[in-house]
Amino acid sequence: MTFFNTEITWFLDVYILLILGYAILIMSSYLILAYLSTKELRRYLKRNSFVDYDVLLTSEFAPKLSLIAPAYNEGLTIEENVKSLLSLNYNNYQVIVVNDGSKDNSMEILTKTYDLVLTDLDFHPKIETKKIRGIYTSKNAAFKKLIVVDKENGGKADALNVGLNIAQNPYVVCIDVDCILDKDSLLKLAKPFLESYGNRIIATGGVVRIANQCIIKNGRLVEVNVPDVMLSRIQVLEYLRAFLLGRMAWGKLDGLLLISGAFGAFDKEIAILSGGYSTKTVGEDMELIVRMRRYMLDNKLPYSVSYIPDPLCWTEAPEDFKIFKKQRSRWMRGTIETLSIHRRMFLNPKYKLLGMLSVPYWTLFEFLAPGIEFIGLVITVVFIVFGLLNWHFFFLLLFFVYSFAVLFSVIALYSEEKTYHKYPKQADFFKLLMAAFIEPFYFHPLTVYASLIGYKEKIMGTKGWGEMTRKGFTKKE
Amino acid sequence: MTEIWELYKNGGWEVPFLTFSIYVFVAASFVLYLTIVASRNRKIKRERLRKEYSAMIDKVMSAVIFEDVSFSSIKEDKNFLVLFDTSFFREVLTESLINLHKNYEGVYAQKLEQFYKDSGLIKYSFKKLKSLKWEIKCKGITELAEFNISEAFDLIITFSKARKKTLKIVALNACIKLEGTESIKYLVEHSDPIDDWMQLNIIAAFKKHDVGDTEGIEHLLESQNTTVITLGLKLIKELKLSQKVPHVAQLAAQTTNTIIKYEAQSILQTLTA
Repeated sequence: MTFFNTEITWFLDVYILLILGYAILIMSSYLILAYLSTKELRRYLKRNSFVDYDVLLTSEFAPKLSLIAPAYNEGLTIEENVKSLLSLNYNNYQVIVVNDGSKDNSMEILTKTYDLVLTDLDFHPKIETKKIRGIYTSKNAAFKKLIVVDKENGGKADALNVGLNIAQNPYVVCIDVDCILDKDSLLKLAKPFLESYGNRIIATGGVVRIANQCIIKNGRLVEVNVPDVMLSRIQVLEYLRAFLLGRMAWGKLDGLLLISGAFGAFDKEIAILSGGYSTKTVGEDMELIVRMRRYMLDNKLPYSVSYIPDPLCWTEAPEDFKIFKKQRSRWMRGTIETLSIHRRMFLNPKYKLLGMLSVPYWTLFEFLAPGIEFIGLVITVVFIVFGLLNWHFFFLLLFFVYSFAVLFSVIALYSEEKTYHKYPKQADFFKLLMAAFIEPFYFHPLTVYASLIGYKEKIMGTKGWGEMTRKGFTKKE
Repeated sequence: MTEIWELYKNGGWEVPFLTFSIYVFVAASFVLYLTIVASRNRKIKRERLRKEYSAMIDKVMSAVIFEDVSFSSIKEDKNFLVLFDTSFFREVLTESLINLHKNYEGVYAQKLEQFYKDSGLIKYSFKKLKSLKWEIKCKGITELAEFNISEAFDLIITFSKARKKTLKIVALNACIKLEGTESIKYLVEHSDPIDDWMQLNIIAAFKKHDVGDTEGIEHLLESQNTTVITLGLKLIKELKLSQKVPHVAQLAAQTTNTIIKYEAQSILQTLTA
């Protein structure tokens, strides 16, 4: 009996040490990343205050870009969205809208609005895709930048690959057609491609922010608001943390594994040489970046991935739990699939920082974290039920995690305040602060639950995106 | 330290550790919250002051431009003099002076330049060049260049050789505005690569400031640095300098670098078409 007691005590000690060790590791990594991000962000803003983007606007030497916007059943908003893509501040660009076999009237709307006619575009596909039904250009000279491709449904990755095949320019910008872009977003995204010498920039990405309840006029964001719905309000905070405190640091370390599928620019040649977007994963945005980086490292080619902290793209966040759950479980499946495809990189010194730090970090803190958290919670409750741990310790542990979560959100608000200050209204600031206090009880359990569903779906072999319905933005008349 | 070790050895470290961490997290959150509130208040105050100052500055500037009022008359206003001693007021004043100068030409622009000198703002701009912070230096350079202070050229050109790229670009832009091609002559001997962004900025500066005298641009084609040659070719193309065709033809004939050869031939085609 004494032996049994000693064994239990030893196991309990090891368990507490493990969960605290994991918590401390994750918290310190967050703080280190936040510190690096804030430092880099300030440096960027200082530098940027002396940058004249008109230099790019007026020059014929500005990088030539092809915007690829896949569209599936976007009939309600496609007219206005394409219009806003055609009116961005940039000269050397074309817009390729890929209608991915929409079942609605997207194609009719596009044809009518933009005077489209079938054309014989000479292109040599390098990536295999679903069949193209037709390629259209406009009769109207005002829309000469526009190319519309009508194809059989094959998913977002397949539509993007069609865009890669058709793009006539050396750089491609892949975007979600329903995103609201900042007018200068292309100027900012293109600049890094000009800045390195001997170190090829293979991709650049910008910050994505939540546009729910913001006011949109003529496809442009005119007023930033914090959403009233708690689920989307907390996502504002979550995006601030991810983009301002996380990715900026990974960008600085050149260890970024993800450029948001909503808005990112790529070196077309490298994207094609790496094989284009994978149609086998739902995390095609992350997978492409990892594969492009791997391609460069395997071939010993000097390269870099650049990250721009300016809020360049505004997207609609799910307001409804069902859609939120679908989105997050899909993100988890995408993460698992990417990490699994590139498992050889894990702790592999050949892949330098990527193999030794980025991939292990994502594995430990993005892929495994929800599982570890859930298992930890179950074991702790079992220990309490059997009287091996007391409630006092349990609540202390919970409050430890809770207070850190609040602190980290406040750091994100501080960073936002000191940099972009996009939420100047006092009421908006307090709404976000309040959200920081509510998030650990409400939002966090939901994300863990959705991630666990993602694990389950992966095990069950679920494929595809599932239906994602959007409410649409508030428009100013 | 010994106490902490003892605590760990005896197994009762978890509760004090968690309690201490919670205190730290709560305190840090509270301090950050106060900092955010203070920062927001500071911003509101600065915005209010900026509006007040701008209204006053607009009146003063209007008198300077349209009523020929000199700085010596303006400084008779005690209130203005008191405000002029504060750095924030000078910052707002300099900003509006620069904005006005960008919008006016001829006599009006000269009056603004004179005001900049008479008021002593020029002294503060020169002072900024001595700052250890590169971003302050950049501000000073921009101000001096905007008001065409040619005496600053020798000082500013030294910053165009700085390691900090942004400072280098700002300085080069300023020098091109002040002295045209004179400022890029040293680039012939430049050994570091000049990336495309910097090249674009140099070209844009030439176009923006409408540098008439392009004598010396052809020397860039003689550089050992291929990025400098590329810059020279781009300048010739963008500024449509057909008088430089013999130099481009010579480069196309003599260079062993295939990329440069191709670029030179393409520019020859464009300029002689």
